[in-house]
Amino acid sequence: MRKMVLLFLIGALWGGSFDRNCIPCHRKEGVSLRLTFMNALLIYSGEHNMKAGLKYFLRHPSRETSVMGEEYFRTHRLKAPLTLPERELDEALDEYWERYKVIGRLR
Amino acid sequence: MLRSERKSLRRFLVLYMLLMLGLFALGSLLYYRSQEQVMLLQTKSRLMDYAAEQIRRLKRLHEHFPQQNRYPRDPRFRSAIYDLEYVKIFSTLRDGRVDFLGDIYSVGDVIHYVKILDNYYLGAKYLFVEVPRDRSWQQAVLGRIALAGTVLGILLALLGYSLARLFVRPMRQSIRLLDDFIHDTTHELNTPLSSILANIEMIDPAAMKEGDRRRLERIGVAARTVSTLYEDLKFLTLERHRPVRDERFSLDRLLKERLDYFEVMLRSKQLELRTDIAPVTIRADRRLLARLIDNLLSNAIKYNRRGGRIEVSLRPGSLRIADTGVGIDEEALEQIFERYRRFDSSEGGFGLGLDIVKRIADRYGFVIDIRSRKGEGTEITLSWKAEEE
Ligand code: HEC
Repeated sequence: MRKMVLLFLIGALWGGSFDRNCIPCHRKEGVSLRLTFMNALLIYSGEHNMKAGLKYFLRHPSRETSVMGEEYFRTHRLKAPLTLPERELDEALDEYWERYKVIGRLR
Repeated sequence: MLRSERKSLRRFLVLYMLLMLGLFALGSLLYYRSQEQVMLLQTKSRLMDYAAEQIRRLKRLHEHFPQQNRYPRDPRFRSAIYDLEYVKIFSTLRDGRVDFLGDIYSVGDVIHYVKILDNYYLGAKYLFVEVPRDRSWQQAVLGRIALAGTVLGILLALLGYSLARLFVRPMRQSIRLLDDFIHDTTHELNTPLSSILANIEMIDPAAMKEGDRRRLERIGVAARTVSTLYEDLKFLTLERHRPVRDERFSLDRLLKERLDYFEVMLRSKQLELRTDIAPVTIRADRRLLARLIDNLLSNAIKYNRRGGRIEVSLRPGSLRIADTGVGIDEEALEQIFERYRRFDSSEGGFGLGLDIVKRIADRYGFVIDIRSRKGEGTEITLSWKAEEE
């Protein structure tokens, strides 16, 4: 319980929901969020489609619905379902999209 | 060719040409459309190649994004990518009006080809490839249409013309038959009519009883009426092709001669004749002018009332003949010179007279002036440019 509070405090100090909830674990697991984004883009294409799709996946991960591909799961295991609150997740996904999106970044 | 014949011929040709024009326009349109389709198909295969190439580049860019972020460009075409939600990701299109269901279509003066990606590289579901519209095929097609149009037009016009002639042939034949009939009949009338007139002349009225003399006179009038009709018919049929012989002659003398001829008829209708004839020379065909005078006089007599009056005056440049007859309606005045039309339906006859008057007057540029009051009489004045003596 104390650990949670500490984490929460650090996260709050760090910044948004995405920085708090997603980056630490991805860093620990060594899974590039850029890579997951580009893979997700390949499947989901549009912003809303991607957010909805990822939201479902993060709640109910499965190898069949993952954007990572079979190759990846030969060496890695599936992530655990996220339990963070609805609002936090939406916020995190919004930030995720904003940070990695392609629209407006091509020249 | 006759006027009515020419009219129906023209009407047929106009209808026919309109119909053919419509058909040709339809055909051209279909041809144009099909050629456009052919052109689009040819363009399509090229654009499909471009699209495949572009997709390979997008894939590469996807893999190296964001270290590389320059959208792939190609001098041969322009392109754009849109995501699944129809949001534009990047575009170099000149004409941004895209149709996501279009496959291949032309917009403005470019052609767009839409390719749906299997893998949404960079999030792109739709790839549009754009090339400028090539106008050369259009010019070629239009040129071909114009050429076909001219050739076909000429052929169809010739065909139409010969068809039309084919159709009017029966009409012409029946007209010719009628013409020939009148021609022959007229010819046959000549001998008996001359014989009647000559024999009447030879009879001496002095040696006759009063009643017989009057009867003889009536025969004379009738014979002259027929004779005038005969002369008119002859003019219209037999003499139509007779060359006109213009000469200078004294019109007053001709006028008096014709008045003499009609004397019997005047007398029989108890008409009073007032003449005022000045010497006038004119250059024209004597026979034609005789026809003209005869017709004017015979009308003045025929439509006069019994015991009426006829005034004839000749001046250099004008001939005036007035009667005290039935007169002509205002409206009828306008159509008075139409052939075979008589202004009084009560009187029998052909009514060729005024038509002949009009023809001859037109030939010599005489101006015809008609004044008429119903029930009071008709006054016809011919005027021409008087010759300087
Ligand atoms: C507990 C650790 C953990 C947390 C927290 C976490 N992730 Fe992940 N995530 C992973 C792992 C491990 C994978 C790769 C295996 C997989 O896809 O199941 C992954 C995969 C993904 C993928 C690929 C999805 C797919 O279809 O395979 C995305 C996108 C992603 N994470 C986004 C996020 C976002 C956004 C957050 C924050 C809301 C987040 N993750 C939080 C561990 C985590």
